[in-house]
Amino acid sequence: MTPVTEKKDLSLLAKGHGLPLACFAVVAFATPFLLSGNRYFAFVAGVTMIHILWASGMNLLYGYTGLMPLMIAGLAGISAYTVVGLTASGWSFWLALPVGALAASISGIILGLPSLRLKGFYFTLCSLVIQTVVTLGFIYFSGLTNGDTGISQIPLPSMGGGQPLSGLAYDLVLSAAAVIGVIVLIVIVKSTLGRRLIAIREDDELAGMLGINVTGYKMIAFFIGSLFAGVGGALYAPYIGFISPRSFDVLISMNIWLMVAFGGRGTIWGPVIGAILLAPLSFLLQEYYTVKDILYGLLIIAVIVLMPAGIAGGFLRKKKESAPPLDVPATPRGAK
Amino acid sequence: MSDANLIILLSTISTGLILGSIFALVAVGVTIVYGSIWMPNAANGQFFVLAALLGWTMTVSWGIHPAIAAILVIGVSVPLSYGLEYILVRRFYDVPNRNISYFVLSLGITQILTGIFAATYGRWSDQFQLPPLVSGITFIGPLPVANNRLMVLALALSILAALFALLRYHRYGRAIRAVFQNRDAAALRGVNVKASYSLSFALGNAVIFAGGILFALAYSFDLTVAWTMSITAFAIMIIGGPGSVLGAVIVGMVFGFTQAAVSTVASPTIAAFSYLGAMLLILLFKPSGLFAR
Repeated sequence: MTPVTEKKDLSLLAKGHGLPLACFAVVAFATPFLLSGNRYFAFVAGVTMIHILWASGMNLLYGYTGLMPLMIAGLAGISAYTVVGLTASGWSFWLALPVGALAASISGIILGLPSLRLKGFYFTLCSLVIQTVVTLGFIYFSGLTNGDTGISQIPLPSMGGGQPLSGLAYDLVLSAAAVIGVIVLIVIVKSTLGRRLIAIREDDELAGMLGINVTGYKMIAFFIGSLFAGVGGALYAPYIGFISPRSFDVLISMNIWLMVAFGGRGTIWGPVIGAILLAPLSFLLQEYYTVKDILYGLLIIAVIVLMPAGIAGGFLRKKKESAPPLDVPATPRGAK
Repeated sequence: MSDANLIILLSTISTGLILGSIFALVAVGVTIVYGSIWMPNAANGQFFVLAALLGWTMTVSWGIHPAIAAILVIGVSVPLSYGLEYILVRRFYDVPNRNISYFVLSLGITQILTGIFAATYGRWSDQFQLPPLVSGITFIGPLPVANNRLMVLALALSILAALFALLRYHRYGRAIRAVFQNRDAAALRGVNVKASYSLSFALGNAVIFAGGILFALAYSFDLTVAWTMSITAFAIMIIGGPGSVLGAVIVGMVFGFTQAAVSTVASPTIAAFSYLGAMLLILLFKPSGLFAR
């Protein structure tokens, strides 16, 4: 019963994305120009664009496929280190970017293999272990990654003429990446692929019986989701100019999860809003970075306890969600 | 020559025993909570460090004797657990698939505590060292061992033994185990399920705190130990079989020895890789664990 109605809801939501998409694209491309006077704010906006891309990739997996991987940051890190390594050995950034993104998505498929056997908490735990292994790997193989010190002074990508990309142009590239990412997500969700992923999310055994190749589609979801993570990671490294294992550790994965869950998983615009609201926080609170951790932790608890469907879904589903808590006192009392 | 090898062997064994018993304590704490209320407590490492840091404050800043400080720290965990249980954990007792909600919840607690530690203790010092419980050195063969560490080992083993006895023979322990096995049947037999839930949450956290303060008494520590401990305790719980106390003790001991041996010949990172690899294999091929209930 419920899966059917929810599927209808989502297909309705998938329609009529034209207006919000247009607004988002206008805002995304106008922001670098509006903020070009203040490099710091423009920089925060650029990082937010990368987080929108990451959140959209996570949303495809967590919101639409029903898997909760906590290793998105690790995948982004694989891509970032690949790109930095390749550009350091003389490659052009624009050639290294697809290679890095592809490295991330191939790793994503391999690391997503446990999802074929594990569901729910066990898969999430598994992905957390993988994230930890990847972070340890970044620290341990210090010949390639320079260990805990990280790699600094990463050169900016060059334009056609050979001079480095200006701040404004880089901001526009990031905006374009975020807009393209959201468009790709909308296209996927509207297509048969998206509907099949949603069917897998609702009940993967039933989806399998209906003739959907669950294994194949999960792998496709991992490929695309990791591609988002990889492109984001590749763009992140030269933009910040510094990467270290800390830039891609488990807390970052949790933050990306929080953006998706806080905004509203399984909706296109929820995670975008979540990223816009939460990504700048870490920069605005840079002086008090510990406050950011505490705030994010409180938000995680608030999302889990108060609004499991996030901002976008919170108001719609509140009535449905209020049913279970009523049962809580009944069981022990009945037990006595 | 062979004397030096003997010293290395003995020191590996003694470190393995101490680390193993502490790992076992923390993993038992995690597994009791997971087995009863289905809460995979990812914040266990932060609780562990919280206990260690509280012990540090009490002994170093306030000058309390370590033994009294240890008892106080374990005492502090009880109101803390009941508070957490009342505010957060209780809400999910009847939610299906609540383990994932609990997992994320405990990751949120982890992040809050990480921020608090970085803002407070992180500014004062990198390495924390507690005064020893007892002074003096005992020679085991050619190897000198601090009496303090032997005392910690004895305490950890006796807490484990007491916990076993409690779970196996005492009324409360039997109630907790009954709820482990079948909540509805236990409720029908007159077990107060909710009280047993909050009791096992408090008991599990008290054991984790005990592990933290004992670790702090035996070794110096820093704030990064928290995440390593969280992941290690999870690995032990998964490999031993979620909810299996015996499995947690055995695998915890094995991990302690592995850590000691691998750290002697290679590096602690390799040890971490090896557990995480073992955990992944178990997750993929035998998710119920080696000592499944």
